[in-house]
Amino acid sequence: MAAYRADDDYDYLFKLVLIGDSGVGKSNLLSRFTKNEFNLESKSTIGVEFATRSIRVDDKVVKAQIWDTAGQERYRAITSAYYRGAVGALLVYDVTRHITFENVERWLKELRDHTDSNIVIMLVGNKADLRHLRAVSTEEAKAFAEREKTYFMETSALESLNVENAFTEVLTQIYHVVSRKALEVGDDPAALPKGQTINVGKDDVSALKKIGCCSA
Amino acid sequence: MVDDSDCPPHDQSHQTLVSSDSDSEGGIDKSEITCEDNSPGETESSGSDTSDEDENIPLFASEITEENNIDKDDNSSASRIKSRSKSHADEDFATWQRIIRVDAVRANDEWIAYSSTQALVSEMKAYQLAESVGLKEYDHLEPCRIYHAARLVAILEAYTLYDPEIGYCQGMSDLLSPIISVVEDDSEAFWCFAGFMKKARHNFRLDEVGIRRQLNIVSKIIKCKDSHLYRHLEELQAEDCFFVYRMVVVLFRRELSFEQTLCLWEVVWADQAAIRAGITKTSWGRMRLRAPPTDDLLLYAIAACVLQRRKLIIEMYSSMDEIMRECHSMAGRLDVWKLLDDAHGLVVNLHDKI
Repeated sequence: MAAYRADDDYDYLFKLVLIGDSGVGKSNLLSRFTKNEFNLESKSTIGVEFATRSIRVDDKVVKAQIWDTAGQERYRAITSAYYRGAVGALLVYDVTRHITFENVERWLKELRDHTDSNIVIMLVGNKADLRHLRAVSTEEAKAFAEREKTYFMETSALESLNVENAFTEVLTQIYHVVSRKALEVGDDPAALPKGQTINVGKDDVSALKKIGCCSA
Repeated sequence: MVDDSDCPPHDQSHQTLVSSDSDSEGGIDKSEITCEDNSPGETESSGSDTSDEDENIPLFASEITEENNIDKDDNSSASRIKSRSKSHADEDFATWQRIIRVDAVRANDEWIAYSSTQALVSEMKAYQLAESVGLKEYDHLEPCRIYHAARLVAILEAYTLYDPEIGYCQGMSDLLSPIISVVEDDSEAFWCFAGFMKKARHNFRLDEVGIRRQLNIVSKIIKCKDSHLYRHLEELQAEDCFFVYRMVVVLFRRELSFEQTLCLWEVVWADQAAIRAGITKTSWGRMRLRAPPTDDLLLYAIAACVLQRRKLIIEMYSSMDEIMRECHSMAGRLDVWKLLDDAHGLVVNLHDKI
């Protein structure tokens, strides 16, 4: 696990959003990644909350500011305001509740309506530890992710499975795009201006990463 | 992709609309629920902005809801906007049912120490009720918490039918949980909640008019009290006070302990009851150092807890995000009596200006 760093000691600051239906485990994914904590009775998120953590990518310190949003439709007007400036998103569903996967399409549209088209998106099937209750197969989700050109991973915040990988992968992808972009432009890579300057080419996202996918 | 519209809003109501001791078969529709306890109680005039909606919502038994039934809601012009038609365009009863169950099983257990009879509920009774309301994924809970969760489901579902414009919105279970801990009878608890929601429901409106009005009042209080802090907030583009959003929506429930919450809510309700009872500023002043009763004591308390941190905010924080994080981390660090003292202090100084 990457070392936790002081808040202001970083080379890059990336804003991520966690979205998806109510009760899929967004807040626990966040607390697992930022505090290594899990709470079975974590309360519903009202509006938005955020947490940060810095990780090392190559020789750079990347600080992630991760916004956790309320899952209910009703709060969407409020939460979508927080999509602005996000360069990465984890779109979470619950592998044991198919409806949360069916709603992924709607979330994707929501995301694409409110963020830059180059945002790095990862589809995350959480609660993969509940094998006996699985309602969404890995294949089904993987096919969807391929179609929608998003990354895909299955996680378990409870068992701490793939959580680190999911966030790190998204951050690394953003980092690669930004640093390459900066190289091309000859710009100062320490300053990440705005989401729209990041050009995530088709090649970057169409290749579905298989890292750490757990089997059904 | 499932289109929610293919599930009629009421089609699953039968399995969940049961109180703790009744077994209900067949759909109970809204009219049945509302007639049951609907006595010709008070018909006090409603605030202008709510009168339209109130046609939808029957007035109910005053003996139960007197303390928390707020008819005189705000009169701000912004609140006149109506949104009934689109209020839950994308959400239906089945969606609410699903979210209610998710929230019910994650209600915390703070209440147990304050309700010994419910804490000792038998395993059989708990499981029976859980089954009858279709509770899911509760195996990890003790019987009393299963019972609590099942009661939450029954009452919250009944509420979505009673007030379909608002339906269920996350945060409502936070508001109901303390009520059912104190009120052991489901139907009484329902009407208490319905009375409570008469004011609180505006926070959950899709058009955000209610919540924005309240955030606006918090902002005004801060502006009147502390122009220095307000200027700082303006510089950070945080003068809309969005950072206290959660406090407003769930009335400090996330920041205060169970016992503190009951204290604060009861003081807030006492003010509102005093207003309804027509207690004037002068007579009240003799009882409580010149602070007249206000409908918005909660908002003064919220402003007070921000003002308590003015130095930190001005000197240390340079973005709205940081202030929001501070507000969210107040849980367990607040002194409810100090908060109320400060809030009353603000009322004394500002009630004419807000």
